[in-house]
Amino acid sequence: MKKIKIILLLLAFGFVALSLNSCGKSETGPIKIGVLLPLTGHQANFGSMEKNSYELARAKINAAGGIDGRQLEFVYEDDTGKPDVGRAGAEKLINVNKVPMISGGYSSSVTFAAAAVAQQYRTPFLVNTGSVDKITQPEAFNLTVNDGAKFYIYRLNPPVSEYASGLEGLLANVIKPATVYIIHENTTFGTKGAKAFQKSSEKLGIEVLNVESYSSGTVDFKPILLNAQKANPDMVYMISYVMDASMLMKQAREIKFYPKLFVGAGAGFTMPAFKDNAGKASEGVISATLWHQTLPIPGAKEYYDEYVKKYGGDGPDYHGAEAYSAAMVVADVLKRCKGDYEKETIKKALDATDMMTVFGPVKFQSYGKKIHQNKMETYVVQWIDGTLKLIWPKDLANADVVYPIDWEKIWAE
Amino acid sequence: MGENKKMIQFTKWEIITLIGAIILPFIFDFSPYIQGLLIFIMLWVILGSSWNLLAGFTGQVSFGHAAYFGVGAYTAGLLYFHFKISPWWGLLLGGFVAVIFGYLLGIIVFRLRGPYFALGTLATGEILRLVFGEEEWLTNGHNGILYMTTWVSKYPYYFVGLALAAASVISIKIIMRTKAGFYFLSIREDEDAAAALGINTKKYKNISMAVSTFWAGIAGAFYMIYMGFIDPEVVFSLHNISILSILVGIIGGVGTVWGPAVGAVTMVFVQELFRSALFGLAPQWFSGLHALIFGVLVIVVILFMPGGIMGDWELIAKRFRKSTRAESEA
Repeated sequence: MKKIKIILLLLAFGFVALSLNSCGKSETGPIKIGVLLPLTGHQANFGSMEKNSYELARAKINAAGGIDGRQLEFVYEDDTGKPDVGRAGAEKLINVNKVPMISGGYSSSVTFAAAAVAQQYRTPFLVNTGSVDKITQPEAFNLTVNDGAKFYIYRLNPPVSEYASGLEGLLANVIKPATVYIIHENTTFGTKGAKAFQKSSEKLGIEVLNVESYSSGTVDFKPILLNAQKANPDMVYMISYVMDASMLMKQAREIKFYPKLFVGAGAGFTMPAFKDNAGKASEGVISATLWHQTLPIPGAKEYYDEYVKKYGGDGPDYHGAEAYSAAMVVADVLKRCKGDYEKETIKKALDATDMMTVFGPVKFQSYGKKIHQNKMETYVVQWIDGTLKLIWPKDLANADVVYPIDWEKIWAE
Repeated sequence: MGENKKMIQFTKWEIITLIGAIILPFIFDFSPYIQGLLIFIMLWVILGSSWNLLAGFTGQVSFGHAAYFGVGAYTAGLLYFHFKISPWWGLLLGGFVAVIFGYLLGIIVFRLRGPYFALGTLATGEILRLVFGEEEWLTNGHNGILYMTTWVSKYPYYFVGLALAAASVISIKIIMRTKAGFYFLSIREDEDAAAALGINTKKYKNISMAVSTFWAGIAGAFYMIYMGFIDPEVVFSLHNISILSILVGIIGGVGTVWGPAVGAVTMVFVQELFRSALFGLAPQWFSGLHALIFGVLVIVVILFMPGGIMGDWELIAKRFRKSTRAESEA
């Protein structure tokens, strides 16, 4: 009797084990896709905006029937803004959560480090914000531009070297500054962005007076700003994340530093948190951007309004739009896989992507040293009366550029 | 001959541990996640042993072991970055370059004693972190160095790590049985008395430093090879490398051969247990506690087992025996 009981027990365990095993491969459960974002740490502001946007998109996708009747689920992994943590996170998504695809990727350094992991495990990685050029340059991963079939990294957003293309138009045609002082954060995003803008300056005939870097977490920018003030540039160009961007402007206001222009390179300067933290000192600041809710892109305004309705506050900037669109691309790609959610099938579907998103058209192309890179226009915005206005290109703008700027007047309490 | 034999004598438990570590992956089919943890244990055995030789046996408490770890990592990384030489060569070279750095920094910090020495070493680590971050022409700055790792499977790294970890522990075991080892201890107990007895304390402190930095450099180079990515904030980290080396040493047992190994296992296990929120059983906020819990553990060890797990093993065992004896008598 006892023996039979044991045998029955064993059988029962066997069934449980089998059913657990088949759970992983079930045809009806949710489809899980990994998302790597900085949810804590210095870059958490960006991470939470992007996560909110992913969730907004997911709700919409699932409400519309999901992927072939199955629900879409995002598994978030916090990279804390650190490359080594990001790598571990990507590895966990691939090996432990067994996702067939990763999306997200905020800072350049983290995204690049994590991309190497995705590449190694041959897992498609759709980057939506990490912007350093080399992320979509196969040579950085020991491949060539002809190795598209072996290259698993795809990027929705333009590379950092193209961030300022819209800004170049504004500077060349309207403002024409003679000198620039460049201040940048010292990780990959900032250093590469500074190099790219030096090239732009050369093209536009703007003299670069100095290039100064600072490390993330810096709170006292006065020594840097006083140096800049001494150099007396027409324009200050800053590449910063959100807290440093706010501090820079706040302290510039405190020391009464009034160049003709303060220009940010996107990232921190377009975030609602920038305005919240810098307060009055955000007024008049110009920034390159990749998106604005008033652009004539179908769904852009709707996305913006839905976000504000659900999460409140000032609404998303281009980071949110990138994340939302990445989620939509993921859904589109999975739908085209027709039930076969293997890495290789997903990669093939990514190759064939050609769709419209709230961020603009998405199609992965090859040009120069890059492959799997989406091409995009870039724009210029300015903080006018506490809101972010699109000021360039002229034909799309919803406000005129405020220039020249009377800092003393607009920064007054 | 007789002395030679004595030098490489192992206890039963040492041999069992080593063999166990070798056959472990053949018995269990570990997930890559567990394999990763095992490799980190090996890394911390090397780094902990390195710190322990200098601080635990020689009494020179270093707060800047990240300096040598980072130099080793960057030796491997830069060889690849500039000359496309496989970082595996850097594994060997990393140790020696770290020794050179250790010697040069030793000229400065060995003039200091006690807490001043600790602060001096702390500064050297921080200085290197900043310099490696700024000198972009040489180090690629904060962009870091990326290397597509040799194997996707983790097992090869486990065995390389195990070999290095075993070599580091054995090398220290051997050294501590030589004359130099006894000199180290005498310097730890009373440097002035040791000097008065005619021991060239400067020379022996440098020897201790050389062996210690060699293993720290090897650990760094191994990290580079295994992780495939380094940047100054990661490998010269005061908190994640320098301080953790100390904690591994303290928990395991300062001045014991096997202490760092025990400390490494404890540290990685405790940290992961809490970081993963008890392997996903506890709510997510629990994972935020991992730094705190590890800190509490260190405090408990310092207060109640100042010799660490290995150092107070006799004490723990005795207390256990006593209580069982008391029970049997009762």
